[in-house]
Amino acid sequence: MSKLIMFYARECPHCKAMMPHVEKLETQEKISFEKLEVWHNEKNADLMRSYRPVIAPNCGGQLRTPTFFNPETSDVLCGEVPYEKLKEWALKQK
Amino acid sequence: MKKFWRCFICNDIHYGLNPPEICPTCLARNAYVEISSREAGKIMGAGGTTVTRVEFRRAIHEFTEKNEFEVNPDREKVEMLLDGLFANEKNHGLKYCPCRLASGDFAEDLKLVCPCNFFIHETYKNKKDGECWCGLFARRKK
Repeated sequence: MSKLIMFYARECPHCKAMMPHVEKLETQEKISFEKLEVWHNEKNADLMRSYRPVIAPNCGGQLRTPTFFNPETSDVLCGEVPYEKLKEWALKQK
Repeated sequence: MKKFWRCFICNDIHYGLNPPEICPTCLARNAYVEISSREAGKIMGAGGTTVTRVEFRRAIHEFTEKNEFEVNPDREKVEMLLDGLFANEKNHGLKYCPCRLASGDFAEDLKLVCPCNFFIHETYKNKKDGECWCGLFARRKK
């Protein structure tokens, strides 16, 4: 299973809304996400910026939160999405 | 490229490609002269004014009054976003959108300063229940 990253921001309501979905996935599907906060942690912000060439084209040309990212395949899912969509994306990464 | 302009009558500052023909404050005609960003910064920062959270909340409500959008009625969401905007201003200098990360390119990142031009966002444009990316502004219900 590839390492999956969730880039999020502490005060982003979309990220907050996605957290229960992520936790449900982690519990039910044994898929874990490395959750990296990007507005209060410069190291995480720099990491997200380093992936800009692959993330931005899939996220309206910008670095949006939340962004779910597979660094091995460069597969990206961004924004607040239904649980089933996140699950489908995450299972595809297996 | 945008430049700074100063009204030589009342010291209004304009940031744009061209100066206004008529100063919106003192109504003087052809009164703007190009100045440096340093001079503009000194003039604009002279009073050391800040906008408190209460003032910003009032400002965005006034901003929406004559527009097709409103401040999101979801108060919990709005308060969370205000937390982020003020944290970003404190930590990063400007009220950057809490739901998008600054790139490090100042000119590019000005697009993230709230309120941003969300009319072009796919989350708002041509959407009946459109919102700006973060959700601070939502299309007004008719």
